[in-house]
Amino acid sequence: MEFVSPEGFRLDGRRPMEMRQIRAEIGAVANADGSAVFEMGNTKVIAAVYGPREVQNRSQQINDQALVRCEYSMANFSTGDRMRKPKGDRRSTEISMVIRQTMEACIMTNLMPRSQIDIFVQVLQADGGTRSACINAATLALADAGIPMRDLVTSCSAGYLNSTPLLDLNYVEDSAGGPDVTVGILPKLDKVTLLQMDARLPIDMFENVMQLAIEGCKAVANYIREVLQENTKQLECRRGT
Amino acid sequence: MQAELGKPSPFQPDKGKVSIYVDCSPTAAPVFEGRGGDELSAELSTALQRCLLGGKSGTGAGIDLSSLSIVEGKICWDLYIDGLVVSSDGNLLDALGAAIKAALSNTGIPKVQVAASAPSDGQPEVDISDEEFLQFDTSGVPVIVTLTKVGRHYIVDATSEEESQMSSAISVSVNRQGRICGLTKRGGAGLDPSVILDMVSVTKHVSEQLMNKLDSEISAAEACEEES
Repeated sequence: MEFVSPEGFRLDGRRPMEMRQIRAEIGAVANADGSAVFEMGNTKVIAAVYGPREVQNRSQQINDQALVRCEYSMANFSTGDRMRKPKGDRRSTEISMVIRQTMEACIMTNLMPRSQIDIFVQVLQADGGTRSACINAATLALADAGIPMRDLVTSCSAGYLNSTPLLDLNYVEDSAGGPDVTVGILPKLDKVTLLQMDARLPIDMFENVMQLAIEGCKAVANYIREVLQENTKQLECRRGT
Repeated sequence: MQAELGKPSPFQPDKGKVSIYVDCSPTAAPVFEGRGGDELSAELSTALQRCLLGGKSGTGAGIDLSSLSIVEGKICWDLYIDGLVVSSDGNLLDALGAAIKAALSNTGIPKVQVAASAPSDGQPEVDISDEEFLQFDTSGVPVIVTLTKVGRHYIVDATSEEESQMSSAISVSVNRQGRICGLTKRGGAGLDPSVILDMVSVTKHVSEQLMNKLDSEISAAEACEEES
């Protein structure tokens, strides 16, 4: 199947290095401590953060840092063909773990010993790149909750189809069998915190694809920063200072 | 809303099937984490089924099930209604009922052409149209009004703070004609029968206002969508 036309357009009309439209909104869940909605094209996820608060299960308490927990769930209607999976299947357990590890790396857990931070992400619409969208939503929600972080982690995926590196794969491109490289970075510190790839890819192309994904992450980071600044301005305005 | 082609149940060959599922996302409250939300999800799903789908025989349903039938006894539409609680501050049932009504008025079911030369015993061949859609008639879909009894009073549209103090609650689904389509009582405390009758008449009054408000909101949203 042809994923890039001879004119250089992808199936959904994007250029190979073009990202889908991203949109973010802070404060979607009123009674959470922090929450955000993040959209990448048709992928739409919502994240809510509760905490830092008292540890619910005493045996899990850590004396010198905060306990970070994460749960990922998909709505029944999020995919085209209806699936009714029980909660806690292997895929969502894996993604929960990936998100937890990525977020734990940027939260300054040592500042909040003997406390617990819960991150809940819910996929409302899935169209490829849910992992990245979840991490971006979780970052925004953590920032909204006012949890101290080293940097804003952002994530983006890239692939390689028809000998062209492609940025931000959608569902059709993702299920085409080509490699899918998901990268998460700390943009200010310029460090990669998450890197996952499936399928095979020529080793000399890997650098290009990863670089493309990193560029995507930086674009997302700029957007997230703008959204946060806009939100802070509005809060300041409401306080009337 | 998701629709699939399926086989009607042998007891009601001339009707389609509708299932309602509600899921409580942990984003709404940390207690819904893992399997924590299952109990509430099941309670809300059955309450909605009771309020909107009528009895086992399918009579008195708010959703017209016979409009989902394609070939009697052979093929019908299976309509799946999924609700997801993303954020909660009380009165979930009423909100879900209103959301379902709004989603139904936005639902288009593709027109289906049945091949005339169908063998009488096997599955007939069908052709699903991509362009023509049947709009759902939602005028018969009831709205749900919950009255929560707190202390000596009963209130509509309780917040979760108020719900934490409730002794019992009655959810009544009322259609446009002012008829009761379903009723659920929650909470442990007993109620005086005369109080129940009083509460039901109050819900009838409230539902009229809610129905009008909801209809105008839906048509405003539709107009807004057409513009864009």
